[in-house]
Amino acid sequence: MNYTKNEVLLDVKDVSLSYDKPILRDINLTIRNIVRPGLDQGQVVSLIGRSGVGKTQLFKILAGLIQPDTGTIMIGVEQQAVEAGQVGIVPQNYLLFNHRSIHDNLRLAMKHVTLESKEKDALIQDYAVKFDLTEHLKKYPQQLSGGQRQRVSIIQQVLTGNRFILLDEPFSGLDALMIDKVMDLLGRVATLHEWNTLVIVSHDVENSLAISDTAFILAREKDKEGATITETLDLIEMGLAWTPGIRENRQFQQVVSQIKHKI
Amino acid sequence: MDIIKSVFRPLTQIKGRTSITLVVVEALAALLAWEIFGQHGLIPTPSKIMVAVGRIVTSAYFTDNLFSSLSLTLSGMGISIVLALVVSYLSLIPVFAPVTRFIVKCRYLTLTGLIFLFTLLTQDGHQLKLSLLIFGIVPFFVTSLLSIIDSINTQEYDLCKTLRMNHWQTLLEVVIVGRLDQVFEVMRQNFAIAWMMITMVEGLSMSEGGLGTMLIKSNKYIDLSTVFAILVIIFGLGIFFDYLLKQMRYWLFPYTKIEKRS
Repeated sequence: MNYTKNEVLLDVKDVSLSYDKPILRDINLTIRNIVRPGLDQGQVVSLIGRSGVGKTQLFKILAGLIQPDTGTIMIGVEQQAVEAGQVGIVPQNYLLFNHRSIHDNLRLAMKHVTLESKEKDALIQDYAVKFDLTEHLKKYPQQLSGGQRQRVSIIQQVLTGNRFILLDEPFSGLDALMIDKVMDLLGRVATLHEWNTLVIVSHDVENSLAISDTAFILAREKDKEGATITETLDLIEMGLAWTPGIRENRQFQQVVSQIKHKI
Repeated sequence: MDIIKSVFRPLTQIKGRTSITLVVVEALAALLAWEIFGQHGLIPTPSKIMVAVGRIVTSAYFTDNLFSSLSLTLSGMGISIVLALVVSYLSLIPVFAPVTRFIVKCRYLTLTGLIFLFTLLTQDGHQLKLSLLIFGIVPFFVTSLLSIIDSINTQEYDLCKTLRMNHWQTLLEVVIVGRLDQVFEVMRQNFAIAWMMITMVEGLSMSEGGLGTMLIKSNKYIDLSTVFAILVIIFGLGIFFDYLLKQMRYWLFPYTKIEKRS
């Protein structure tokens, strides 16, 4: 596969967090821009760990919603310290404002975008067509299915102009068919822009690895308190990325099995 | 037959026409039993009460009294909701939090002991009634509004942050605009408290009349048919306003009527 890894897009250094006991310690990870000739590549990164290991806390730290006790999170090609609002989040329950229609929820995301009102509406319409939501724009969130709400929630974050979007357990509670649809959706969002970076925080090893270019395993090491990144998988280098039907691949299945034992 | 079985089966959901039929049949049965077995009792029978209702609503003084009670309740409610909203929203600013907590605790202050103080502070009977009504309602309003604010999912605030809203925009979007429908619902529920209190405060200054004044006068002369008739009118009006506010909520906030998809 012809690709290069260029500038750093996300750099997490020595992040730790404690409440009454250590939750996270020495978190270090780097995400670089993946460049493929002739493509707006974007990328999908997974943070995989079992329930209760501290994924949600790391999710909030990466989003700039809480401050770690130590360490830094630098994002973007300019490598600025992360602040709330620079990273989009798609919570597990696909939260939207129930008092606003889908169109208004999406418009709200563009409040700070310097476009004319008509241009904003045209952009919403464009995304609605791309992601099969045209007929739902006038509806309220309660009228949509979980999958539809998830799409709106993702598009809402894309419309803010954020290049980083964190997704909390995007495969949770979905059947096999829906999981395939979500994977397709994430792939399409990632390729909307060269710098689009989707970070999936999940305990679902198989599906997270199947969609990712890079995966970080968050786990606790023996006799040590607090979770840390215990392993980094470069799935492109391993030949396990960008391949349709990867879940049928024997090597992929072996990797999934190994990771399941490690987390 | 299945319908009859279903109304006796535990945990069965009864909807639509069956539900209405059940209410009507049970109400008619209760009224009939009251009518038959209450002929020689102290409490007037439904037919006597209904005759008294007819007499009251067609009397010349009824409209004035009704208007007096309604205007007092509505003005009391209006001022109370504004005050309660201001107090509740201010509770999100740390410096105002102790004041809010104190107002919530005022639910346990009895009005009776404060009548003298309010009489000194107000200029006339109308102001006294209005002040007592507001003082009686606001703590309940604030308690309900604070429970709405407390139950807001913190993820909503996080979502606002990711949408690059500042603290004031977040307050407006999540707490004020986002919860207006629930504020309206609280208003509907607390209308019952205001409507119930009206008879009490009207008894403190009878010069303006009102349904409460009518009730107290009839009680004084042990005119039980009239007392029960006024109670029926108060009860009926309460149910009517409850229904009206419920429909207004659906009209103003159409999303509250939408059934959630799984």
